[in-house]
Amino acid sequence: MAADDRATDRARTGPGGRDRGPDGDALRTVERPTLSVRNLQTAFFTDKETIRAVDGIGFDVREGETVGIVGESGSGKSVTARSIMGLVDSPGHVLEGSIEFRGRATLRRLADRFSGRTADVAGVEEADRAGAADDDDFVFVEEWDDGEPAAGYVEITRAPEKARRRLRGGGIAMIFQDPLTSLNPVYTVGNQIKEALRLHQGLKGSAATDEAVNLLEAVSIPDAHRRVTEYPHQFSGGMRQRAVIAMALACEPDLLICDEPTTALDVTIQAQILELLGDIQEERGLSIVFITHDMGVIAEIADRVNVMYAGEIVETAAAPELFGDPKHPYTRGLLESIPGRHPDDDRLRTIEGDVPTPNAPPTDCRFAPRCPEAFAECETVHPVSVAVNDDAGDHTAACLLYPEDRSREESVETHRARDASYAGGDGGGESGSGRDAAGETGPTEAGTETSEGGEPARRGGGQP
Amino acid sequence: MSRWSYFAKRLVLSVPVLLFGTSLVFIIIRLGPIDPVSAILGQNPDPRAYNNIAVQLGLQTPGGEPVPIWRQYIDYMTDLLTFDLGQSWVIKPSTGVYSIIASRAPQTIWLGFWSVLIALFIGIPLGFYAGLNPNTWSDYTASFGGIVWRAMPNFWLAVILVSVLSQSENFLFGFDWQSFVTETNVVTSPSLGFLTDPGQFVANPGPTFEEFVAATKQILPAALVLGSASMGNEMRIGRTAVLETINSDYVETAKAKGLPPRSIVWKHVFRNALIPLVPIITAEAFVLIGGSVLVETVFAINGIGKLFYEAILNGDIPLVGSLTFFFIILTLSLNILQDFLYTVIDPRVGYESD
Ligand code: SF4
Repeated sequence: MAADDRATDRARTGPGGRDRGPDGDALRTVERPTLSVRNLQTAFFTDKETIRAVDGIGFDVREGETVGIVGESGSGKSVTARSIMGLVDSPGHVLEGSIEFRGRATLRRLADRFSGRTADVAGVEEADRAGAADDDDFVFVEEWDDGEPAAGYVEITRAPEKARRRLRGGGIAMIFQDPLTSLNPVYTVGNQIKEALRLHQGLKGSAATDEAVNLLEAVSIPDAHRRVTEYPHQFSGGMRQRAVIAMALACEPDLLICDEPTTALDVTIQAQILELLGDIQEERGLSIVFITHDMGVIAEIADRVNVMYAGEIVETAAAPELFGDPKHPYTRGLLESIPGRHPDDDRLRTIEGDVPTPNAPPTDCRFAPRCPEAFAECETVHPVSVAVNDDAGDHTAACLLYPEDRSREESVETHRARDASYAGGDGGGESGSGRDAAGETGPTEAGTETSEGGEPARRGGGQP
Repeated sequence: MSRWSYFAKRLVLSVPVLLFGTSLVFIIIRLGPIDPVSAILGQNPDPRAYNNIAVQLGLQTPGGEPVPIWRQYIDYMTDLLTFDLGQSWVIKPSTGVYSIIASRAPQTIWLGFWSVLIALFIGIPLGFYAGLNPNTWSDYTASFGGIVWRAMPNFWLAVILVSVLSQSENFLFGFDWQSFVTETNVVTSPSLGFLTDPGQFVANPGPTFEEFVAATKQILPAALVLGSASMGNEMRIGRTAVLETINSDYVETAKAKGLPPRSIVWKHVFRNALIPLVPIITAEAFVLIGGSVLVETVFAINGIGKLFYEAILNGDIPLVGSLTFFFIILTLSLNILQDFLYTVIDPRVGYESD
């Protein structure tokens, strides 16, 4: 399978690659991920509580790579996408973290437009950058070529709304779940594509129409000349999703975020759309972030997979490895629940219970109430992402069982120490008092309230 | 089926509605309790005069035979459909219905124009504003005001407004409405010479403009009353429509495209939010027809509503019939206008999904 080859090719450069200091080598910029998310925290503030929908996640997306984010609804995957797009609406806020985007054209455009907020960090060590940049700088140029920025990144979390608008559609495009409702019913498909063309490429009139027709052809819509003047309701579901993809491609983005783009479609159409996305990616060297709850879809399209649970990434690995050798109990549960995995069972296997709503900083494993392998420490120690074993550089899991080649006490200690250094004084052990620790390996009864005085006392699915 | 053939179909369908409506009017008038001849001659008429009038009205043949009802129906329908509206019997005997309506219509048009305008240009913008700023103080103020405004019955509001404005210096901290800008009475018919002869604006600008200002000022309280319910309704619906649209997926898509908020609101939100408003606006226009009868009577405006009221009280059957016919045509035109607006705004009109 071609996707697997690509995946293993890229698997060589793990997240660790980022830690190499800048050495002025042009090759380095090629290796740098197009998108790099670190410790992203997005929370929604309501009168009752603060929902930490995305709670300190990090991942990379390389050029031409498809990164999957998978999880149940309520796990925070859509909020992740919206945070990257700068589309988190009040009462939601990105609290902390960094989102670096390295789209070359975007960098150039924004450095040009916001020269006052561009920092020249060429030759400056990563650690010293704070000194080289002003507080409100959000464009960082690492390399110049004849006065033009040749390499660098845009820090999305610090960008003003105006710059984010240029980024949206321009550098990063997004397609949504329901193609039936994501096109405006009162304008023609052509009109909506041309809108994007005018905005980001300055195309107008017949030039824009021609380009719109080209785009529709590029997403294999037959009879594009006629179709461009038709309204969305004259398109079938699959055709509409193709039109939405065409619209997303209108501004030649470097990164495409797909939020459950095939969920609303039936299976044959779903396969066609996935194939189309694959083709487009190959043609245009596009990076894709693919969000879904469907493990089967992820298996088909993703090079790397991040499994999300209750606002955290619990496991990361190259796709073949994740599917061949899943480590985190949650990932295993998800894989077990793919229809057809156990043809002899007369019932589908599921993970009992719902994703808890994360409303306080984590002090335990959020999956513990549903985890078949939970033990006492799972209730008192917050697991951090660690390599699953000594020779797996880019396969990480946030579970106290790992690294698997250490004793359990050692592993737990690793997590405890690393979590304390992450969270400052904030995390820690005091939350453990007064709780009934679950049995060593006995499954915690799903769906029942297991903790008093701490979280996750609140349950309930649903995206915040 | 294309949008426009759908529209044509609606147009053709309005013909049977027109026929049905006028027939209903005929049945109500001719089979109702009013004897048209007695209405003209009063109680205990001279039998000879009675017979003459009955022949004149087409109720009897000159030989004294009653004209069969189907014959009367056919005569009545042909007259109406050829727009031969006949003459008034009681209100202004021997005056053509046309000229009576023509002399009264400008007042009602002027009133209707301003009440629709007030509703449209205050109600909808307020509603849209509230919808764009949901759950803020300005939203609460606008929404609450809209509900209160909507809840006040117009007959009550009309009377209150008349009495407050006639003694405004006592109620409004010395503000005297009657002498505000130009001297006017609260309860009166505006003089509308400029409506029938707009050339006066050029020929004689000074006094004509003054007349225009006075007429506008005189009509405003009545228009406010007449438009109050519509205004409240349009505000409420406008707010909901904007809220719904703004949370829709295509607005999210538009944001993801990087459109600036201004074009998102003007292009993607407003046009879609107008769709549920179209039937509200036209339905409100029907209410205006009924409301004008009441408001014109309270504010003593010599318009068609007041004329209709007087005609019914006096049993002036040709006038009532013609006015009803006129109202039916107006209602149908509004319906057609509604379909037209739908067809222009919403491309999905007439599209049969299966
Ligand atoms: S940390 Fe404990 S509860 Fe959490 S997944 Fe691992 S074994 Fe299960």
